[in-house]
Amino acid sequence: MSKPMRDFTKGELEWTPWITPVDLDSASAEQRDALKITPSNRAVGAYALVLAHDPESVRERSPLYNAVMFGPRGLPRADRELGAVVASRINGCAYCASVHAKRFVELAKEPDLMQRLYADGVGAKLDDARRAAIVAYAAKLTETPSAIGPADADALRAHGLSDGDILDLTHAVAMFAWANRLMQSLGASS
Amino acid sequence: MTDASLDDVMGRLAGVAAGTPLAATRALRPDVVRFTQTSDEAIFRPANDGGLSHAERVQAALQMALLLGDDVLATHYRSMLGSAAVDAGSERAKRIAAHVERVTLDPGASQKAHLGALSETGLSPQAIVALSQVIAYVNFQARVRAGLRALGGRS
Repeated sequence: MSKPMRDFTKGELEWTPWITPVDLDSASAEQRDALKITPSNRAVGAYALVLAHDPESVRERSPLYNAVMFGPRGLPRADRELGAVVASRINGCAYCASVHAKRFVELAKEPDLMQRLYADGVGAKLDDARRAAIVAYAAKLTETPSAIGPADADALRAHGLSDGDILDLTHAVAMFAWANRLMQSLGASS
Repeated sequence: MTDASLDDVMGRLAGVAAGTPLAATRALRPDVVRFTQTSDEAIFRPANDGGLSHAERVQAALQMALLLGDDVLATHYRSMLGSAAVDAGSERAKRIAAHVERVTLDPGASQKAHLGALSETGLSPQAIVALSQVIAYVNFQARVRAGLRALGGRS
């Protein structure tokens, strides 16, 4: 998608579910356990409560998400967030893009890069060649995973990414193929 | 750190052989390996399927593997389907297939009415969320597999 996305810096987007979320007060033990809800931690949003309708899948997905996006060492978190924004921009998930654009800017302190991506799309001309290579890989993996090959890994290696870094980036981008589709198909960003 | 490359579905599908540099790379993220595997099990072998049957889940996954042009994934899901089958001509199967295609290829085209259409054909809220997770997971799986293949020097 090449038209500009709504400016992520201007206010919080909201996500409104299209099916009724699980009611926290009548949630089953399995649902509460899957969301790690305890009497002292009941701050759960609508999104998690929608996913709680199928507790087995959300139980495994939450720690997977945390391992992919927050796992220590490896690819800097800013680059993982950049991968997430690229995926979200292409898939058109405004909510995901706004949250992760903000995270990228907090971590990398490069608001200009993010503004450029927002205004011009994933083909934007970026001054930082390493970040540009990350964006290109994230875009290709998002759009045409079947076309990804060894040359794509080599392009990242040429900018100093280790194989572990490339795998971290792959996981982050793929995780947003997952996250975007849940958010977009189960509710609306506004 | 144990080399889990042969213990899990993703490692097998990506052709990760024990003792190789790619296996060592994967072993840097044991939690990702572990929870990818448990996610696969929750998606395709849940204790409670909420009314979305095994055959329906695997058929959806097979449809996505074909849409994504991933022959290895398609073979994997054909084999998993085995002799089970969905009645492809039923309204329910058609609506599920339309949903799978739309959310895979054009998630931005999603609307509330699409969930209503699934609900009308008998899917419970749990089944709708389960179907959404099947779709989202296979889209994740295909891309991780693509990245692992590229790292291993294969297309």
